[in-house]
Amino acid sequence: MNTNTPHTVKSYEEELKNLNNNIVKMGTLCEEALRKSINALITNNADEADKIIKNDEEIDKFENLIEQQVVNLIALRQPLAIDLRETVTALKISSDLERIGDLSKNIAKRSLLLSSNLSKNLIDILNTLSENVQKQLKSVIDSYLERSSSMAINVWESDEKIDNLTNQCMQASIDFLKEDPKNLQNGTHLLFVSKNLERMGDHTTNIAEQVYFLVKGEYLEGDRPKNSEIGK
Amino acid sequence: MKKINAKNVNVAYGSKQALFDINIDIEEKQVTALIGPSGCGKSTFLRCLNRMNDVIDICKVTGEIYINDFNILDKKCDVVRLREKIGMVFQKPNPFPKTIYENIAYGPTIHGMTQSKAEMDEVVETSLKKAALWNEVKDRLHEVGTGLSGGQQQRLCIARAISVRPEVILMDEPCSALDPIATAQIEELIDELKNEHTIIIVTHSMAQAARVSQNTGFFHLGNLIEYGSTDKIFKNPENQKTQDYITGRFG
Repeated sequence: MNTNTPHTVKSYEEELKNLNNNIVKMGTLCEEALRKSINALITNNADEADKIIKNDEEIDKFENLIEQQVVNLIALRQPLAIDLRETVTALKISSDLERIGDLSKNIAKRSLLLSSNLSKNLIDILNTLSENVQKQLKSVIDSYLERSSSMAINVWESDEKIDNLTNQCMQASIDFLKEDPKNLQNGTHLLFVSKNLERMGDHTTNIAEQVYFLVKGEYLEGDRPKNSEIGK
Repeated sequence: MKKINAKNVNVAYGSKQALFDINIDIEEKQVTALIGPSGCGKSTFLRCLNRMNDVIDICKVTGEIYINDFNILDKKCDVVRLREKIGMVFQKPNPFPKTIYENIAYGPTIHGMTQSKAEMDEVVETSLKKAALWNEVKDRLHEVGTGLSGGQQQRLCIARAISVRPEVILMDEPCSALDPIATAQIEELIDELKNEHTIIIVTHSMAQAARVSQNTGFFHLGNLIEYGSTDKIFKNPENQKTQDYITGRFG
């Protein structure tokens, strides 16, 4: 349904626009944190990792700001229909984005604990997994920006691919651990990194569900596409 | 269960058509809210349900309105009996300039519903209790109704309406002249009354429609644009006009 007609009360219109802009800004910060954290890990760049850890505060601030805006909108504007969905989904999306920020920070922290002895194969798979999660995150933010339920469904359906890559990553981590007891520290951290990436994929799927609800006013039906073959 | 079924109801005031082919089913013992901008026809429709438009000479109503499967627009319909079954509460509290007791007793008296003083006392007490006013007025039943506060007067009007045990109660913006506390009392009352009566309320307050009703109809320029469950209308309406109206986007 077309929602281009502006509100009669301009300040209300501004508040909703502002909320929307903050979600997009927060999403962009999360995309950057994810991309840079994997980069810091692969290139062993401690300075970059430190910056990501520090910048997570910025993402947390956005979550607080969005929460305040949502509470104010509910208390002062009593949003209805599309406005209600805008308000409620902003709150939920900001919470998923905050988790994505945290998980990126965690990858950055782990990158600081890795020694240089890394498996090339494992790093390659991890990089592919991370690229896919980044793509998902970008697509889901775009779907929010464009209010596109079809783009949101694409993200929702692509989670299976992330699960597949996570399984490969887990297997490669286990193989790496088996090779040599000295790999224990690196292997364990990389296992967690792949798990973090898989969780981020789940958060983008959550956001996709919210975008679908925002646009359509109904919930996505059916089970999420899943592939949990880990360890098999 | 369906209580009221309106079919192709058209209303015109002289050459000006106010309602266009209204079709609506009103559920029994539920609250139905009618919303829409001023002049959209919601009050006109409400007034069709107890033939109040009959008193306006230039007003012409066509179509069919079935209440309990009887077409109340039929010439054979006894309007006095109809208004016994369909009570009404208005925007401005309008108690008779008589005592509280007489306000309630008036309806049962003209409809010959009671045989004795004791029976009438009983009706007055029950009606005032149902309207949640008894405790506030039981010691001053013989004082004038117009001496009560606005909220109390409105509850007195509701008590007066329910004293003749109507099946349907029509409310035309019953809280627009009341403060938030009196409004909450009326809304609580509406919740209670729906156990025994079918209620149709016209309101300009979207929040009130959302709070009190199970079904909502949105009128615009004499048309019923959308009608459905209240949660659907306020969360995810089907029609663009409904959405624009309830979200405050009407230019």
